[in-house]
Amino acid sequence: MRLTLQLLISHGRVARRMGLGPESRINMLRNILTGLVRHERIETTRARADEVQFYAEKLIDYAKKGDTDEKAMKMASFWLTEKDLVPKLFKVLAPRFEKHSKSYTRMVRIPNRENLDRAKMAVLEYKGNPFPPLYPAKKENQLTLINQLLQGYREERARELAANAK
Amino acid sequence: MATRSACHVFRRRFSATAAALHPPPTEVRGHRSAVFSREQARQRALYPRVEKIEVSMQGPGLDGTLLIMNRGMSTPLSCARHFTEYHVTSSALALVDGELWPLNQPLTHSCTLSLLTFKDSDPTLANQAYWRSCAALLGQVLKTAFKDDYSVELIGTPEVPVTSGAFCCDVVLDPQLDSWTPSEESLRSLTKAAQQLIQQDLAWEPLEVAPSVALEVFSHSRCKQEEVERKASQSPKATVTLYRCGDHVLLSGGPLVARTGLCSQYEVTAVHSLGQGPWGHHRRAQGLSLPLQLPAHHTVWRKLRQRAQKLVEVLEAEKVTPSSSSSSSDSTKQ
Repeated sequence: MRLTLQLLISHGRVARRMGLGPESRINMLRNILTGLVRHERIETTRARADEVQFYAEKLIDYAKKGDTDEKAMKMASFWLTEKDLVPKLFKVLAPRFEKHSKSYTRMVRIPNRENLDRAKMAVLEYKGNPFPPLYPAKKENQLTLINQLLQGYREERARELAANAK
Repeated sequence: MATRSACHVFRRRFSATAAALHPPPTEVRGHRSAVFSREQARQRALYPRVEKIEVSMQGPGLDGTLLIMNRGMSTPLSCARHFTEYHVTSSALALVDGELWPLNQPLTHSCTLSLLTFKDSDPTLANQAYWRSCAALLGQVLKTAFKDDYSVELIGTPEVPVTSGAFCCDVVLDPQLDSWTPSEESLRSLTKAAQQLIQQDLAWEPLEVAPSVALEVFSHSRCKQEEVERKASQSPKATVTLYRCGDHVLLSGGPLVARTGLCSQYEVTAVHSLGQGPWGHHRRAQGLSLPLQLPAHHTVWRKLRQRAQKLVEVLEAEKVTPSSSSSSSDSTKQ
């Protein structure tokens, strides 16, 4: 959520008002979260993605308690409207994030929607998914000309410093 | 008419004797370029009929591509032109059947071809060729930078690894210039001349010739002739490779990159004195350059340039060979 003046004096309002009311908002977010758990990477409007991100992380936190935990089961069956995803949550996603304590998801802004309106869009994904990376992997190559020159510079510098120290 | 022809003959005789002593550099350049063009035309005439060869490409995105090219006419560059502009502008060298091949040299047989760039996963070969080409460019600049009254003799371009920080070119200037020490302005003017050559985007045209042709090309320069003989005796095919850039013909120890326009940052950093040698007062000009695809930030460039001002020590093994050859040449003269 953005840090704005409105948020600073929020008087307890911590969530966006979206949909037809609080219940509608929760239902909409449930549907989006179900889609996220099924596909592991979804594209939606930026505000919705931002809202869902909190619940997506929370759901993993519950799932890591295990499927014998009553509260975790209750949460999973409430947030996943398609019940065949409940085993996936406990058997696939929870073990994947066992070593992580937070930030299981990643949100990336993408260009505004073109066909319908100009809505700001975003991509939300669970980390460790099998899709190609959102950002191109940075290539580090020590063998390029400039890196070779810099390597020679560093070595000479280290030699000089060692000679001065003696 | 008679007087004019007599005058003509006299002038020609006179100029011939004068040329034997101090041929004007423009005439020498013209002669070398003319011999080079003649030999190039002769080699091209070896393939009078258009024959087709199959070139299979290797490289990211090109695997399995088969090109039908012309034998003795198509170069790796013309293969690159069948793909994208990226392949044309960024490739520096070619690898033909695992063997280094200059980009402007015509293909003579069916082969597998891969194009090398400076951003490959292992650009060591391209880097080495780039360093060699920059040294060749430095030699060309030194050759043309001085007035016609002063003779400039290029001794050679020692092969130094890229990590040594600067490429270098050994040169002997006119005896009148023995006491000359280059100032910062003169280095800057050399840099400017190099930048002009880079801007002209000249191609390095390779040509593999027999030693007799190379001796004719360098008929004005004794030390170049010795270098030709040494290189011809070392190479397994008993040939030497000449390169032409603009109208400057040079002898190279290995393949050069495609064109001068591949350099972007180029600076002549120092001209050191190496003391008296067999040809006169030896000097070593040094420079630093980076290709267009790998620009350096100015702070990094400043550090690299400061390092490039220090004298590069060439390995002893390479130093020994010219001295031994010069002693042998002395014995042959006697």
